[in-house]
Amino acid sequence: MARQPPGTAHIFLFLEEFLDRIEVFHALQKTGQTAFLSIEKIFNAIFGERLNPFYYLGAITYFLLWIAIGTGLYLYAFFETGVAVAYGSVESLTHGQWFAGGILRSFHRYASDGLVITMLLHLVRHFTFDHHRGFRWFSWVSGVVLLWLTFASGVNGYMLPWDRLAQFVVTATTEWFDALPVIGGSMTRNFITNANVSDRLFSLLSFLHIGLPLGVLAVLWVHTQRVPSAKTNPPRPLMIAIGLTLLVLAAVKPAVSQGPVDMATLPATVDFDWFYLLAYPLIQSWGGKETWYLTVGVSLVLVVLPWLPPLARGKQASWNLAVHPDERIIAARTGETLLDAGLRAGLPMPFECRNGGCGVCKATVLHGTVRLNPYQESVLTAAERASGKTLLCCAEPLSDMEIEYVPQSGAQSLPVQLHVARVTRLEPLSADVMRVMLTPLDGSVLKFYAGQYINIVLDNGEKRSFSFASAPHAEQEIELQVRLVPGGKFTTMVFEQMKVGDTLQFEGPLGTFTLRQDSEKPIVFVAGSTGFAPVKSMVESAFHTGIDRKMILYWGVRRRSDLYLGSLAEQWARDHANFKFVPVLSEPQPEDAWTGRTGLVHEAILADFPDLSQHQVYACGSVQMVQAAQPAFVKHGISSDDCFSDAFHLAPQRPLDSQQADVVKLGGSHV
Amino acid sequence: MSDGVRSGALRYVLQVLAYGAFAAVIAYFSTSPPYRLRGDNDALVKLSFSHSAQLVQACRERSEAELAKLAPNMRTKMDCPRQRADVLLELDMDDKPLYRIKTPPTGLRQDGAATVYRRLDIPAGRHVFRARLADGPDGIFHFAREVDLNLAPGQVLIVDFLTSEGGFVFIHG
Repeated sequence: MARQPPGTAHIFLFLEEFLDRIEVFHALQKTGQTAFLSIEKIFNAIFGERLNPFYYLGAITYFLLWIAIGTGLYLYAFFETGVAVAYGSVESLTHGQWFAGGILRSFHRYASDGLVITMLLHLVRHFTFDHHRGFRWFSWVSGVVLLWLTFASGVNGYMLPWDRLAQFVVTATTEWFDALPVIGGSMTRNFITNANVSDRLFSLLSFLHIGLPLGVLAVLWVHTQRVPSAKTNPPRPLMIAIGLTLLVLAAVKPAVSQGPVDMATLPATVDFDWFYLLAYPLIQSWGGKETWYLTVGVSLVLVVLPWLPPLARGKQASWNLAVHPDERIIAARTGETLLDAGLRAGLPMPFECRNGGCGVCKATVLHGTVRLNPYQESVLTAAERASGKTLLCCAEPLSDMEIEYVPQSGAQSLPVQLHVARVTRLEPLSADVMRVMLTPLDGSVLKFYAGQYINIVLDNGEKRSFSFASAPHAEQEIELQVRLVPGGKFTTMVFEQMKVGDTLQFEGPLGTFTLRQDSEKPIVFVAGSTGFAPVKSMVESAFHTGIDRKMILYWGVRRRSDLYLGSLAEQWARDHANFKFVPVLSEPQPEDAWTGRTGLVHEAILADFPDLSQHQVYACGSVQMVQAAQPAFVKHGISSDDCFSDAFHLAPQRPLDSQQADVVKLGGSHV
Repeated sequence: MSDGVRSGALRYVLQVLAYGAFAAVIAYFSTSPPYRLRGDNDALVKLSFSHSAQLVQACRERSEAELAKLAPNMRTKMDCPRQRADVLLELDMDDKPLYRIKTPPTGLRQDGAATVYRRLDIPAGRHVFRARLADGPDGIFHFAREVDLNLAPGQVLIVDFLTSEGGFVFIHG
């Protein structure tokens, strides 16, 4: 081996040492990932995947900042910015109106402290999971700017009560700035005696406490711009719980001042806020210059982290993703997750935690390979992975891909179009229910989601709504189940005049009542009469896509003969271990020879499930049935997030028994 | 009570404990542990001044030959170099050196004030302070002052230099 000149040898040694350090760096990340995943697993068990605070660290920081700003506005209204009156005004605020100003001062302080915790956890989490590289560098670097602005805001805030802690903070801060070459030793002279501090100078400190938080807000806005569909609000239960926690803390341990400033004396100790003032003992013991070296050095290291080895994975700049059911091809940047790519392209991809903890974004890889970032094993089992399932929020494409997902909010992304279809089959299912099979005339395959409906457009322009009874994968024909309503214009026509070969005009797909895959909770389907139609579509779709959640169908009808596809439901129960069928008759007659469940369908459910908190309910049927069932289900613990029905969604906008509500009544029970 | 309800209740209890732990961390570290600013029996000297020293060279009149070499708009008769001298300061306490510093003037042309700020911990009690300052190119201490003070624990003594006050000023509350 040729002898290298000494300079080269030094460079090699340096590189070797550097790479060793990178190894340590990776080991740190690995350990951090394990630690976060373990803690998050515990928190998932305690809070549930959708309310795990670790999945909303950024959003919680936002929330706490809003609290700090809101409470700060109130405090500012009573705060006097004169050096002689500032302390007194804060004391008056704290003790004179303890029930408002006092509580809000404490709330302000504790929210500010809390946001340091969540902000730092947010930063560490993104670092440990390597979420600071590639296109994410922008958010990362703006995050470092936010760190400085946040600490500056907090430190500045501690100057305003003009108490002993303010005396320390203002002295140490100016001493720190005095260590800078340009400033020399001139800044501290402004605070050397009580007389040196002018009202104008003190007002400047006060106004800084408006300017700096405004700067935080501005940079925060920039910080989140590069994150598609960034969640800046945590779920409401988390907001309430965190807010209440801090309010209780404010009441139990009120924030108080520590005696007025007296520059002529120095207290032996001060009660210290270690969240914001952690670096200050260094200024005192090390010196200002050394503390600058440390803080600026750490900041610079943070800023260059996204470009430290290993750099971009592979040379491919982006991958093409063919996405179903949107039927779109979008680009994913290197290092970008499928979810981020989809959201950036405006696709309604489902997501919640974005951290591989909740499983809401589970989807299917039809073609191509992905690299999965760390996630909770419980939300994506090895068997699911083997069958092609993936988590959109954790999967980074390693090739061009084809994926399929269930949209978050139903058919928003699917175009609603006017179609002409031919009636290909008419099959009476019972005395008053007709199966109508339709095929679009143009030969196109209608894309829709299980649970959606179409509007049949009558000659006079009136519309009649019917749910798809067929599943989306049954692409050949559209199945509707039409119940005869005496006097009904369209249904009478179906039963008395319609024949195979007739054409119909319809628009669709419509509706957001679709089967969600964002939960592992058992599903309770509630079908009333022809509400069975969308249930059939959803159940068949669930079987087809391999959903293994427990499903139980309660089908409520008046008479045995109304169970027009009871044998099909029984067959499902025989074929699928995770499916159970419970028919319920409300008006059984002796000739029915009925030995099964009787009564109202929702009462049967409540008898079987006194606690519905761990279930999801899909209710499809008459508006009256839904109207009766919903409050009863809520009383038995169902969360509004777990209760799905178009009728439910209509309730706030329209009276359930109104003409307009009936237009979208489910299950084809319209006239 | 069903298992579901029981486990639900347990989860709520654990959630309350988790929020409680969050609150406890905030409650503790927002004020504790207290930070010690000085020893129980210490006083503090703050040496702080900002002083423009004498010019290194006195003004002199330019000769006609020198003026002719300058651009027409630069032909001022007097040549006054702007550079100021370093400031030397010595502060003794009880006849022992407490602090020494030689500080240059600020500014690109070294024509600004020399500024010093130092925080010095000392034992509380009776002390004799002697301060001397030299601000000329000759380095001679033209300013000096001696005071005998009794400082209580925590008391701050400010040693300033104000030309308008005739030199050193010792401020103590």
